[in-house]
Amino acid sequence: MTPDQVEENRTIKWQKAAIRSRRRRHWKLAALTIFLSVVSIPILLAYLWMITIAFTAKTGGVETATLWIAASILTPTLIIYAVIHNIEDLPNKRRWGWGLIGVGFAIGVVLLWDEFHLGNFRFMINPNLVEDIRGVATAGGQFPWVWEAFFNSLFLASVQTVIVVTVSSFAGYYLSRFAFTGRSLFLQSLLVLQAFPAITLVIPIFLIVYWVGLVNTIYAPILVITALELPFFIFIMKGFFDAVPWDIEMSAMTDGASRRQAFRMVILPQVRVGLIAVGVFAFIKGWEEYVFVTGLTTGQSYTVMSTYLYYVSEDVMGVDYGIVAAVAVLYLLPALLLYLACQKYLTQMTLGGVKG
Amino acid sequence: MAKVELRNVTKAWDKATAVKDMSLVIEDGEFVSLLGPSGCGKSTTLLMLAGIYLPTKGDILFDGAIINEVEARERNVSIVFQSYALYPNMTALQNIMFPLRFQPNSRGEELAREMADLVQVGELLERKPSELSGGQQQRVALARALVKSPNLLLLDEPLSNLDASLRLTMRAEIKRITRKFNLTTVLVTHDQLEATTMSDRVIVMNEGQIQQIGTPESLYAQPNTLFVGSFIGSPPLNLIKGTVQNGRLNKDNLFLQIHDADGEITLGIRPENLVVAETGIPGEVSHVEPMGREVLTTVHTAFGELWFLEAGVQPRWEMGNQIKLNCQPENTLVFDRTGIRIQGAIAKFDT
Repeated sequence: MTPDQVEENRTIKWQKAAIRSRRRRHWKLAALTIFLSVVSIPILLAYLWMITIAFTAKTGGVETATLWIAASILTPTLIIYAVIHNIEDLPNKRRWGWGLIGVGFAIGVVLLWDEFHLGNFRFMINPNLVEDIRGVATAGGQFPWVWEAFFNSLFLASVQTVIVVTVSSFAGYYLSRFAFTGRSLFLQSLLVLQAFPAITLVIPIFLIVYWVGLVNTIYAPILVITALELPFFIFIMKGFFDAVPWDIEMSAMTDGASRRQAFRMVILPQVRVGLIAVGVFAFIKGWEEYVFVTGLTTGQSYTVMSTYLYYVSEDVMGVDYGIVAAVAVLYLLPALLLYLACQKYLTQMTLGGVKG
Repeated sequence: MAKVELRNVTKAWDKATAVKDMSLVIEDGEFVSLLGPSGCGKSTTLLMLAGIYLPTKGDILFDGAIINEVEARERNVSIVFQSYALYPNMTALQNIMFPLRFQPNSRGEELAREMADLVQVGELLERKPSELSGGQQQRVALARALVKSPNLLLLDEPLSNLDASLRLTMRAEIKRITRKFNLTTVLVTHDQLEATTMSDRVIVMNEGQIQQIGTPESLYAQPNTLFVGSFIGSPPLNLIKGTVQNGRLNKDNLFLQIHDADGEITLGIRPENLVVAETGIPGEVSHVEPMGREVLTTVHTAFGELWFLEAGVQPRWEMGNQIKLNCQPENTLVFDRTGIRIQGAIAKFDT
């Protein structure tokens, strides 16, 4: 072989290797996206069911027609999306993706337009929902208006959030900064406490709450949930405080701040992401609480959203799935809005993540 | 501006003692450096001066008054940290004005802007620390430290995160400013160049104790201990270990004459004091490093690797050259077995 041929062979060899590697990378990515798209279909269907039923169900019985239509749009859309995602050298891939989602949505709207109605949301303006559908005899006149439940839940979740955020930030700071006797034991027990399923404590907690005299008040679940959630949130906050350099605190103190002023003016602003994260999670925990609300009440002394949803779906005369789904949509909305509002901060969160 | 004094100060933790029985007087307006390897207790000393740590034993005095238990915020002391420790949630201006929040001053902002101009960050005051370069952050930190006219300015490795040329400028800058305000300043550093170029006096520390206090020149020329001798100077001191018998340090067929010392010793010679001569320790050149306007040449001899500095851009020797090294007796340093320098002892290179 002449030197030129040798050179040429070598070039071809490298080119082949490059093509092989590109193809391998491509297939791996394709397999992964298609797998993830397929497994996500059942998960998405649950939400799809809730939303379509909430806006379309009419008879009160189990209706599946709309769901099938919706699913038959969603599934191909998702699969086409996965395929498009894997087409190599497709310009404006992002635009294609959004276009596809738009098309899928448009087809859905066209096909389901006639079915669409807001009747299932009548519970929002009708305080006597159940009497209205079933007659006074079945409901016994004890069914509350949804807004009562809504504001009870809001109260429960908010008070709980305020307590959790306050206590966990002080405790986390103290754990992060001070060496005291039993500190490591305390930290370990924080984690061990998380290992107990809270449900195992329902009976002793009920007894304590009963003796204290808080049964049938909304303060019982507030205090109990707070107590059970705190260890974990304290641990999270400790991580955030750990990431704030000592130098900054020392600097504030030599600049003339007292320890408390340094905490408020310099340290707290730096764990803002942590405070928001803990706040969001605590709020959602309180918002969705069910076990300790039903467990610490006898009869219907007050209703929160979770118990309201339960009563709506447990009606002895048969369930109106349309209304259940509509209540679920309302129930979901505040949590969703909260997530969306705080998403910017939550995605910044790595455990103890403060940018250096 | 204050005279600062440490009297037999000890700082001990549960397991370790960071500072042992340290006594020191820093005059009003003086610039001193605490120099030592990491973990030698210099930062602990600094934080005790700042009031962050309480001394375990001993007293700290400002202008003759014991201030051991006075809180950090009442000492009117400023620190510039290695990490600058700017408050990320505040703009540069807010950072500089932060100390004034606690001692209300009607012309606070004016003062802050003055300080910012002094350290040349007047244009950057609306930026957050994350939008400033390392050098700019450093300047803001310095302005923040100066704005309250501190009794004592503490600098904790302030230059070690800067690149070489910036370090040179900041060194001059800090020196200029501390002179201008006649500030009592303590610089903590492990960089001998920083310590020797900036300070009036250097305090060399090791393992929590003061090794030697002196002007940069005296520490370099007359180290009291082997530690100081080898810690200060770059390239480092040449060290020859051996046992003196009948006034001679023998190695193979060679010997060095040692006067006024006996037993196990370590001989130290500064690289610039070793010269190539007709007589002396013979050896083979093993390594040549041009360092700009000097050349560092390493020679393999019976007494180990010895290196010497010669002025000049072009190397005079190459690997494999056979040369002889000699040194003026008055330029040799003799240390005893424990590392203490034997005053008056010298070595002669008459082999």
